[in-house]
Amino acid sequence: MEPASAPADAVSSWRATNTRRMGFSALGCGLLLVSFAADVATGPAMLPIPAVLRSLAGLGSDAMLDAIVRTLRLPIALMAAVVGAALGLSGAVMQTVLNNALASSYTLGISAAAGFGAALAILVGASLPVPEAWAIPAAAFAFAGLACALVAGVGRLRGATPELLVLAGIACLFLFQALLSLLQFLASPEALQQIVFWLFGSLQRSSMAKVGIVALVFAVTLPVVLADAWRLTALRLGDERARALGVRVDTLRLRCFVVVSLLTGAAVAFVGTIGFIGLVAPHIARILVGEDQRHLLPASAVFGALLLSAASVASKLILPGTVFPIGIVTALLGVPFFAWLVLASRGRP
Amino acid sequence: MHPSHPRLSRRTTLAFGLSAALAGRPAWAAGLSVTDALGRSVALKGPAERIVIDFNYEEFTAVAGPSGWDRVVGFNRTQWADNRAAVFRRYLAPIPRLTTLADVGSTEVNTFSMERLLSLRPDLVVLGYWSFVALPEQIKQMEALGIPVMVVDYNAEIPERHVASTLALGIATDNEERARALAALYTGKLADIRQRVADVPVRPKVYVELGQGGADVVGNTYWKGMWGRLLEFAGADNIAAGRLPGAGAWGPLDPEYVLAANPDAVFIAGSSWTGRPQAVLTGFDTDVATTRARLAPYAKRQGWAGLKAVRNGQVFAMEHGLCRALFDFTATQFIAKSIFPDRFADLDPVAELRRYHEQFLPVAFDGTWMTRLTPAGA
Repeated sequence: MEPASAPADAVSSWRATNTRRMGFSALGCGLLLVSFAADVATGPAMLPIPAVLRSLAGLGSDAMLDAIVRTLRLPIALMAAVVGAALGLSGAVMQTVLNNALASSYTLGISAAAGFGAALAILVGASLPVPEAWAIPAAAFAFAGLACALVAGVGRLRGATPELLVLAGIACLFLFQALLSLLQFLASPEALQQIVFWLFGSLQRSSMAKVGIVALVFAVTLPVVLADAWRLTALRLGDERARALGVRVDTLRLRCFVVVSLLTGAAVAFVGTIGFIGLVAPHIARILVGEDQRHLLPASAVFGALLLSAASVASKLILPGTVFPIGIVTALLGVPFFAWLVLASRGRP
Repeated sequence: MHPSHPRLSRRTTLAFGLSAALAGRPAWAAGLSVTDALGRSVALKGPAERIVIDFNYEEFTAVAGPSGWDRVVGFNRTQWADNRAAVFRRYLAPIPRLTTLADVGSTEVNTFSMERLLSLRPDLVVLGYWSFVALPEQIKQMEALGIPVMVVDYNAEIPERHVASTLALGIATDNEERARALAALYTGKLADIRQRVADVPVRPKVYVELGQGGADVVGNTYWKGMWGRLLEFAGADNIAAGRLPGAGAWGPLDPEYVLAANPDAVFIAGSSWTGRPQAVLTGFDTDVATTRARLAPYAKRQGWAGLKAVRNGQVFAMEHGLCRALFDFTATQFIAKSIFPDRFADLDPVAELRRYHEQFLPVAFDGTWMTRLTPAGA
């Protein structure tokens, strides 16, 4: 190879890589659209597709059918997409700032904290001034934030090495799991059942207002993390190198924690603890588009949305007429897919 | 008033429009107002023709008859087919429609589907109390779409709610007369029991446990609803009183506390649950030997040999379906007779349950619904 052509080759190969990365993201978006359409088109009522389309277009003349399509199916399909996106993005940010492939809102106790908040609201439910439908998500959100604050606080106390933060997160996980078990122990059987269902995770409680809140949080936080994309990419090289490149690591990490707590809190608050998307979506995205955060962050959101949306469709098709718990479907659908991706990508750089 | 049974199928009646049954009724166009178990006022356009019902199927059948099911478009299949399998099988013969009737799922196991319910286009949704509590937002949606929601509650074991639930089912299905007869029967039988035990000098200590998991599992017991209230009516002293967390309706007791309380009588609630191989089997198609064989391990539980109830042969099985039903007075009679044999010598609870089936239900009565572990006199 002639030395003179090497830089040109590097540029063109970088461009090719970039195009391939964009291609994967575009493919993800395309699949997400298909999955979303399938989500709205399917359901236990087995409505004919043209009737669904008419109702979506606002041309429906049947109140019952409109109610099914617009107040039941549409919020669920949208919720699956925005919650999946929020969990995927928050997982990607988490894995990057903690420099740990196992980090997610699950493994670091944020979901457990949200679960504890929800259980607390269920338990004291009747005595709250707010309707339960809003008190539960509000409490879940507040405790997700509290868990993030605890982890970040530990980091500030002792100088934030990623390992310390991960340990703090795991301590947080066990703390909130223990507290949750305590509440379950104290709860009446009725409340216990409600808590267990909440922990299962379900899209069935969706409404347009709730979709709007999650979408808003996502829309506000995405630009914030994208603006940090270069700095986050630098952070992947390690704290010292990132500092050498002029990144203020501690503030960056704190900012990211706020973003993660907002995203996870909002997502988990309304649908319960839907498993493992925050862990897996970023890995899928990383295998397909690589470490560059400008690509990785949006792709994690896209694949998170796709995973949860596909799981939502599958949950309705497994046993026609009934809706299978989404949390179980997500894991059953996602784990084999993830395993295949990991095995298929072995040996590739 | 016209006799409510037998009647034409609703569709036929409507199609011809001029049947005698219709002609004799007040104008339905004005609509019906039904007061449900919770005292909620439910407005109907007329007797319901497309009902979704969630629980208390035997009460619905007693009030509306087997043909009443022609008005039903959806139900909670789990509650009947899985939780009361033998009862469900028995009702399939007189009500073949049940085989293919749409399932709206169960709030108890989180399978309830609002979409399925709406797609059935009901003109009345009848919910058990627990589903009413579990579905606040869905109920708002139903009401916004003009679908009336009526609550029945036999679980609370509050006699007024039994009566209100029964009358509500009667009015909503145009079987008010029959509903009144049923409510009067229930009220009369209950008053008789309470009067017989009114002046008992000592209330014997009683423990009830759900036998769903078998003797190796500590099952739920009951206080403020279901069996708990029946124990109160029967003149028993419930050892679970004040010992259950939360609302105190149900939950398990500490086995050590049960030993310390040393109950005079123990009742294990059985049923025909599917997939519960250790459960105490009771109900249709179950012979008494089977029930006793499944009940026997309870008497052999750690430390139970010393319980007064076990020493005196006061261990019983009774069908769990009897603790939240209109015919639950027979279970109350059984409990009362078991602890006060002298005061109920003239009364046979099983015969009462048989008579109720003969009079109001379309299925033959057999099997083991209430029995003692050791045969009387043994």
